[in-house]
Amino acid sequence: MSAGTLPSNVRDPGFPTERENYLTNSKGFLSWFCTLDHKRIGVMYLIGTVTAFLIGGLLALGIRLHLFSPEGWLFTDNWLGSSVDKNTIYNQVFTLHGAIMVFLFIIPSIPAALGNFLVPVMLGAKDVAFPRLNLSSFYLWMFGALFFIGALLSSGLDTGWTFYTPYSTTTDSSVILATLGAFILGFSSIFTGLNFIVTINTMRPPGMTWFKMPLFLWATYATSIIQVLATPVLGITLLLLIAERVMQIGIFDPEFNGDPVTYQHFFWFYSHPAVYIMILPAFGVISELISVHSHKHIFGYRFIAYSSIAIALLGFLVWGHHMFTAGMSSLTTIIFSALTFTVSVPSAIKVFNWLATMYKGSISLTTPMCYALSFIFLFTIGGLTGLFLGTLATDLHLHDTYFVVAHFHYVMVGGTLIAFLGGVFHWWPKMFGRLYNEWGGRLSAAIVFIGFNLTFLPQFVLGSRGMPRRYATYDPEFAYLHQMSTIGALILGIGLLIALVVLIASLVNGKRSPANPWGAATLEFACTSPPPYYNFERAPVVGDPYDFHDIFWDAENERYVTAEPEREIVPQTVPEESPAHAGGQN
Amino acid sequence: MLDHNQLPLADVNKSLWFPEQASSFAEGVDWVYDTILYISLVFFVGIVIALVWFAIKYHKKKGEPAESQTSHHTPLELLWSIGPSFLLVYMFVVGAISYLDMRTPPEGSYEIGVEAYKWGWTMDYGGGTYHPELHLLLDEPTKLSMRSSDVIHSLFIPAFRAKKDIVPGRYNYMWFKPTVASEKVSVDELASAKKETGTDAWDYDKYQFTPDGYRFFDLYCAEYCGKSHSEMQTVVVVHETQEELDAWIKEKASRPDDVAPDAWGKTLYNQRGCASCHSIDGSKRVGPSFKDLAGSTHALADGSSVTVDPNYIRESILEPKAKVVAGYNPVMPSYKGQLSDDDIDSIIAYLKTLAE
Ligand code: HEM
Ligand SMILES: [Cu+2]
Repeated sequence: MSAGTLPSNVRDPGFPTERENYLTNSKGFLSWFCTLDHKRIGVMYLIGTVTAFLIGGLLALGIRLHLFSPEGWLFTDNWLGSSVDKNTIYNQVFTLHGAIMVFLFIIPSIPAALGNFLVPVMLGAKDVAFPRLNLSSFYLWMFGALFFIGALLSSGLDTGWTFYTPYSTTTDSSVILATLGAFILGFSSIFTGLNFIVTINTMRPPGMTWFKMPLFLWATYATSIIQVLATPVLGITLLLLIAERVMQIGIFDPEFNGDPVTYQHFFWFYSHPAVYIMILPAFGVISELISVHSHKHIFGYRFIAYSSIAIALLGFLVWGHHMFTAGMSSLTTIIFSALTFTVSVPSAIKVFNWLATMYKGSISLTTPMCYALSFIFLFTIGGLTGLFLGTLATDLHLHDTYFVVAHFHYVMVGGTLIAFLGGVFHWWPKMFGRLYNEWGGRLSAAIVFIGFNLTFLPQFVLGSRGMPRRYATYDPEFAYLHQMSTIGALILGIGLLIALVVLIASLVNGKRSPANPWGAATLEFACTSPPPYYNFERAPVVGDPYDFHDIFWDAENERYVTAEPEREIVPQTVPEESPAHAGGQN
Repeated sequence: MLDHNQLPLADVNKSLWFPEQASSFAEGVDWVYDTILYISLVFFVGIVIALVWFAIKYHKKKGEPAESQTSHHTPLELLWSIGPSFLLVYMFVVGAISYLDMRTPPEGSYEIGVEAYKWGWTMDYGGGTYHPELHLLLDEPTKLSMRSSDVIHSLFIPAFRAKKDIVPGRYNYMWFKPTVASEKVSVDELASAKKETGTDAWDYDKYQFTPDGYRFFDLYCAEYCGKSHSEMQTVVVVHETQEELDAWIKEKASRPDDVAPDAWGKTLYNQRGCASCHSIDGSKRVGPSFKDLAGSTHALADGSSVTVDPNYIRESILEPKAKVVAGYNPVMPSYKGQLSDDDIDSIIAYLKTLAE
């Protein structure tokens, strides 16, 4: 059926009233801060993580501006009147940039902000399994963030976000405050993960079998497994680190017969899986975006779902590749290298599947789609450059140089951040009930893309030419590459600013958003935008989340509508009576 | 290491991606790198072409249905899951083979001791000769046995494609075979640089040759180690003949007869890492300044106080943690066994000149 001829039996939930809509159904400060509604908690996380990102971003600009000249340009020995020397300031700035971006932004952004909002709605449930645990995870996040700020304000932190011993047990900066902060954030992360696992296991409505779940939920599930299994290791490691600092018990510090490499094993046993906490949710977002904006069934659903689980499991086996130069035995090193390559396969599968989804689709180049395309481009570079690092001979040269810096920024910024932005643009109308300016959105995607590449492509060259990372000053021969990178960072900053302005402007004067602005088949687009307090008026009907046959463009009203019965419905989906969790009474 | 301020593309002798190949590993590593690069480029270009082409070709007006709703194709998916795995195995194998080479030093390699500390290097040439520069012999397999006196450092010579962490509490080893000798600059060039420098610390970045007139390769610390991590650099000089290297070592063994003790003390101050923690202008760094130090009275961390006489200076160099000055951390490495009596006397003489 082509556009324009609508079947007679279309359904459109219309617009929510003031009273039903979760944003306005109750008012006042307390109604937000004591809320148990997963959507409000998601919005608070969104505000929190984006604020953390802005602070981390300003620090990043500080780093880049400083590196504009070989002797260091921005920070000086009495910068802003402080008597700390410029290298120390630089070291504190890059440490805090890394720690904030990793612990306060990249790890929680998609699972906690988008995940909290979306998991129950996509599932067709009323809330998460443990709403109070959910709220407490947000408070823990806030609390952890305060510790970080405390560390900054007391004596600064200069260990790098990895807290390597024995440097971290001997420096006189606020290591304990910061590690306690990370420890608390770990709990926040575990609570979120636990909540999602239980929610997805127990609260799927009738008919929502595992293979009828949207891929974002698969990704969230895989992420949650890592969060619950790996984060405790980080917690223990950080406690040991504090114990070592305070009591010098000799676990990590050679002066007391400890071994610093033990710390690295502990640390990366968490932190390598943690990089998959950062990227798996992004894969989930991109799978949704590509399919919806191509209006085509996701290609290879099962392969994508299984590859998420495979990445989660394999991610636990490869931590040793961060220590190829640290002096492990040759055999261990070779085993870790071999294992590292196994993770590449599931990542590659996803990229091929996304491309195949676009093939013969009906692609709309909306803002979220522009971000999704940008993601595929950048993530491919990030993933492929991982091969140079997984290969032993080349890693010996590239380890701890700017090549590594470029690699993980392509993955984490080019990957996760871009997916996060794409996701925010995709679900923004759903979350706030407002449409934003499409041209502004696409412009931001383009400028971010250009700025990002200009920032990080030169860093691959810097690294292979031998520029080590975490340098406050450098040899003049590297100057022009650093300067390109700094200019790129400024452009990237402008792009992100445009995105922020476009989104905020939509809240002020955006058009009201229909229930289904993109023509998606997942459940969150079956309720009004913004969703009602209990998400659905009645228990939603579950079908294939990627079947677009019964979704039509209603040109007259400029919205997508769903024709009710044509979708193949799983027989037992139509509820006999209200199921306990999905939209029933409290 | 000539003039680096020009664009590498304009420099025919150097590739865009790498520094000069100066060890027997370099060619192999670059080859592995290029191999992965070409394989990656094939995939990358393919993916990007598909991406752009699909985005344009299948761009449709709102509401127009897709041409296909194919949701899977198992043979195709198996093909693209298993196919690339062969390439991955290939990369792993070539990488691991070159790596094993780099791990096993040949019997009878020339051995040099390396001590890394915050923030500098001491190379031990045996027979009591220590120097911050790393001097090697062309085509001679050389093994470094490395230790650290404080935190983790990492010795990285980009031109050799060689890197190894130096973990405190254990010895770490690495080896390589230098294949490119360092040129010597002309006597005139050296003389004019020396005149310009006078008695100041030598500026390697500015001249791009050592105070002995050799061109060099950079040696960096690659593991973050605190405040002056980025200044923890030294240079590698490769000599063409054993005689030349021996002559250099002999020259560095002790204070030359024609150099006064205080001048030698100043050289040691600049060379042996004192300067990274102690200023001579009164400003506070990681350690107390040397200005007006000799002869003054110091409050110690344990509440007592001490007069800075030659004995105290000697003790501070050999047993730095014995008497720590109030307000500072006990972080100075010990120089025990690395400085001769004459060296220590020279440093004392130099400190005295700073207190006049
Ligand atoms: C899922 C996508 C990936 C993510 C999220 C990711 C993330 C990261 C991060 C954050 C680091 C740097 C950590 C640090 O030192 O601060 C890193 C380093 C590394 N990555 Fe990836 N990466 C990904 C893909 C890959 C792939 C596909 C490979 C190999 C085939 C790989 C191999 C490596 C190696 C070997 C290192 C250590 C390099 C070194 O320090 O010398 N990565 N990665
Ligand atoms: Cu170092």
